[in-house]
Amino acid sequence: MSCLSNPDLLVVGAGPAGLYAAIEAASAGLTTVIVDEGISAGGQLVKQTHKFFGNEDFFASVRGFDIARRLLKELSNMDHVHNLQESSVIGVYEDGIPVLHLPSDTTRLLQPERVIVATGASEKFLQFDNNDLPGVYGAGAVQTLMNQFGVMPGRNVLMVGSGNIGLIVSYQLIQAGVNVKAIVEIADRIGGYEVHANKAMRMGIPIMLRHTVIKAIGTESVEGAVICEVDENFRPVASTSQELAVDTICIAIGLNPSIELIAQAGGEVKYIPELGGYVPVRDDNMRSTAEAFFVAGDVSGIEEATTAMIEGRVAGLTVVKDLKGNTDLKKLESLKRELVAFRNGPTSARIREGLRKLGIVSSSKEHQYGNPNNPEKYMGKMRPVIECYEAIPCNPCETSCPTGAITVGENINDVPVIDYEKCNGCGICMTECPGLAVFMLRELPEEESALIGIPYELIPLPEKGEKVHLLGREGETLSDGVVQRVFKSPNKTHGVYVKAPAEIAGEVRGVSPVSKTDNTYVCRCEELTVQDVEKAINDGYTDFEELRRRLRISMGPCGGRTCRLNTLGMLSRKTGRPIEEFAPGVLRPPSIPATFRSIAGQEGAKDE
Amino acid sequence: MNKSASVVIVGGGIVGTAIAYYLTQKGMKDVVVLEKSYISSGATGRCAGGIRQQWSESSNVRLAMRSVRHFENFKKDLGADIEYIQGGYLLLAFDDEEEALFGKNVAMQRGEGLDVSILRKHEIQYRFPYILLDDVKLASFCPTDGHANPHLANFAYARAARENGARIYTRTRALGIDVTNGRIAGVETDRGHIQTGVVVNASGGFSHEVGHMAGVDIPTESFRHQIMVTEPVEHILDPMIISFSRNFYIRQTFSGNIMMGQGDEDDKPSFNHDPSWRFLTEMARKMPQLFPFLKNIRVLRHWAGLYNMSPDAQPIIDKAEKVSDYYCAVGFSGHGFMLAPAVGEGLADWIIHGEPQEVDLSNLGLDRFTGEVVRERNVV
Repeated sequence: MSCLSNPDLLVVGAGPAGLYAAIEAASAGLTTVIVDEGISAGGQLVKQTHKFFGNEDFFASVRGFDIARRLLKELSNMDHVHNLQESSVIGVYEDGIPVLHLPSDTTRLLQPERVIVATGASEKFLQFDNNDLPGVYGAGAVQTLMNQFGVMPGRNVLMVGSGNIGLIVSYQLIQAGVNVKAIVEIADRIGGYEVHANKAMRMGIPIMLRHTVIKAIGTESVEGAVICEVDENFRPVASTSQELAVDTICIAIGLNPSIELIAQAGGEVKYIPELGGYVPVRDDNMRSTAEAFFVAGDVSGIEEATTAMIEGRVAGLTVVKDLKGNTDLKKLESLKRELVAFRNGPTSARIREGLRKLGIVSSSKEHQYGNPNNPEKYMGKMRPVIECYEAIPCNPCETSCPTGAITVGENINDVPVIDYEKCNGCGICMTECPGLAVFMLRELPEEESALIGIPYELIPLPEKGEKVHLLGREGETLSDGVVQRVFKSPNKTHGVYVKAPAEIAGEVRGVSPVSKTDNTYVCRCEELTVQDVEKAINDGYTDFEELRRRLRISMGPCGGRTCRLNTLGMLSRKTGRPIEEFAPGVLRPPSIPATFRSIAGQEGAKDE
Repeated sequence: MNKSASVVIVGGGIVGTAIAYYLTQKGMKDVVVLEKSYISSGATGRCAGGIRQQWSESSNVRLAMRSVRHFENFKKDLGADIEYIQGGYLLLAFDDEEEALFGKNVAMQRGEGLDVSILRKHEIQYRFPYILLDDVKLASFCPTDGHANPHLANFAYARAARENGARIYTRTRALGIDVTNGRIAGVETDRGHIQTGVVVNASGGFSHEVGHMAGVDIPTESFRHQIMVTEPVEHILDPMIISFSRNFYIRQTFSGNIMMGQGDEDDKPSFNHDPSWRFLTEMARKMPQLFPFLKNIRVLRHWAGLYNMSPDAQPIIDKAEKVSDYYCAVGFSGHGFMLAPAVGEGLADWIIHGEPQEVDLSNLGLDRFTGEVVRERNVV
């Protein structure tokens, strides 16, 4: 048992990265303990019924669960490997790393020389009305139920998100005999690989771009979902809303690296949105800034299984070098080259950018972004701000302008240009723009505020003097304001003018009636809604740590996996400071709640 | 940032912000608080939030009783709900020595006017049937003791002080204190210099270091104390329950989480904030013996904070001799949260009027450590 308690290497997580890390270490003779939460090793691989891309060296055309099977077979032939299944690391402490065995509810303390954290990721959470109803699942949970436990999650599913996971799980649901009513995608293009999308589409699943879910319907469980279109600023356009009769809403909007253990070990973490959120700072040997701790796979940045496997091997080989003094350097270097090659394609542009921010070299392409028109020269004059930066074939702003101040030009794909000298501030362009991309603005410097005109297509139309929430580009409440003027237009796109503090004038792009109900949850453990969080931020709790202590947000059993990033996002939007400037908050142990019984009952201690 | 201030308080915990609140409430406007991290980031935000009047030293009893009156009026005075519950404190005695000490303490406390009594074993069993009393001799119980949410109290003081005109700079670290000819000239921070004649050291775990900045020797040391909290469960515990000999305290928060901790006799002075697995295992073995209902409840989090210990485990509230207008409110030895209102009030009066007025701080001076030290015994 002592070699189990003091192994050379502890690998946390038996997914593709962890298994390969263990194979490299154990084949070099290191005693290796693998801790994994699942009922069987393999991580996400065991749920992956699709065939892999890539080249032959890395299991091209092999299905995920078969890859897991092959890796496990390879490991089972090796000495010095202990596989602790259905087990979870409780935390990283100065005096060791306790592991909870879930079925027996007991713990044991490990003191390894090196640790490879291959904990993968957790799913990002989406805020919409009644999102706490049973039947709202993450895609990973649906996949586990369906592909691992053989349980059908529901009969009729709405999939939210068209990244690879959303597309693949939709396809798998169809394969399992479940009806997928639609895939909604808030962006204006499909997020995942075209082939995955085509596969799903061939099954008759509509992919609804620029759509999102705004509400779950039901009392005891999900009975339906309200979806609607979103405009350029991702604001739901309520007039387009429709109900779908579904019993399951499956959320696949992305993943969030599970960095808790690295943070507890004292490793530095950094916010890199391209890699999925907070990721450990590490070198190209996968070593974190806590010297004895390595990372591999999604925990080091959301990518896919092939690169996870290579990263696992790199980490494993480096641990061998640490403990044995030498390693197969040729293999190590060739694996690193392999990683660069895999990330060379256009679909890896974000990954390359994220890695660049970590100081890890890979080839990248620079992207140019267009410059928005610049209205600042005409401060104090009522005038339109046109947020139309993408070249789309559209010109009603030009043709409707009574003074000829707006020019799109001969090519209807060009973006509009405004001559503010000619503009008389009438606001017709705002009500004409099909994209609801024209806003009116007039600064009121003496009051340190501004008058803002918002195109509005919902019923009921707010009235003059009515109190409304002032919304930002992602529908978040920035502040409250009072309607100053309502400009009714025969084409049903009305203009609602509100007064807003000067500092947020450039951010206010919507209004919503002050509603009495509030059940859009940010934190399901502590039952905190968007309004609760926004109110606290408005009250001045603009330090994440203070907010956490004020509301108890991220202090529930999930330890903040669900709400931390969303809360930081809200803080960032409301304060105008980038997420990077906020500390992510302390990731306190235990990483998984453990009973008194399990903690007391470790190492053979008797329980009555 | 302000270039000058009448008073600069180092530390944005409960003590620093309470002093700022009382100073501004009593009419002083030009008050600055420096907090190196965020409000409630230090011991305040890490403590259990107990509010107790049952002490072995009479001066502590009086100070705590005065604080309780402030906590009772907190909502009215500051307009903030701080989840204050007067569910009492139940002190458990396990041996003859404790039994004798409790009898003596209760007599002294009653003499100070505190509503406190000894409970025999059957009385404890009747009132608190969920405790396994096997080895318990007796208990002392004070119904007006209680607990509150330290974060909310800290935020409330900070907010009220700000509304009164105080400037509280978070993420701003005091780097040094300029002293010329025994007088304070200013405070150097990582965001610039502040000219001031008065400095208050309310820096909790870092009191010795902030004393050193002005050349004032404060005999305090910081020790790690760990604490843990369970998932929320139905309300069961009204009082805060503690034992000195068994070395624990336990209470249930307003939101249902059960919070508990113990001291660690082996720990050396340090600024270590990291929790240890050993603490968790010791608690997991010890606590269900007295509170069997804990066994299947899950531990959600644990963390550590610093006890800033003075030689006699009582706070040091004083004005320095060598440096004029250098005040300190430090060395609270694990009970700063509960004493902060009275200390804030007294120190504010001291700064404004030259004496603490109604608050008796006479036994809490720096000079008391020259002779024989009488240690406060009622400390976990």
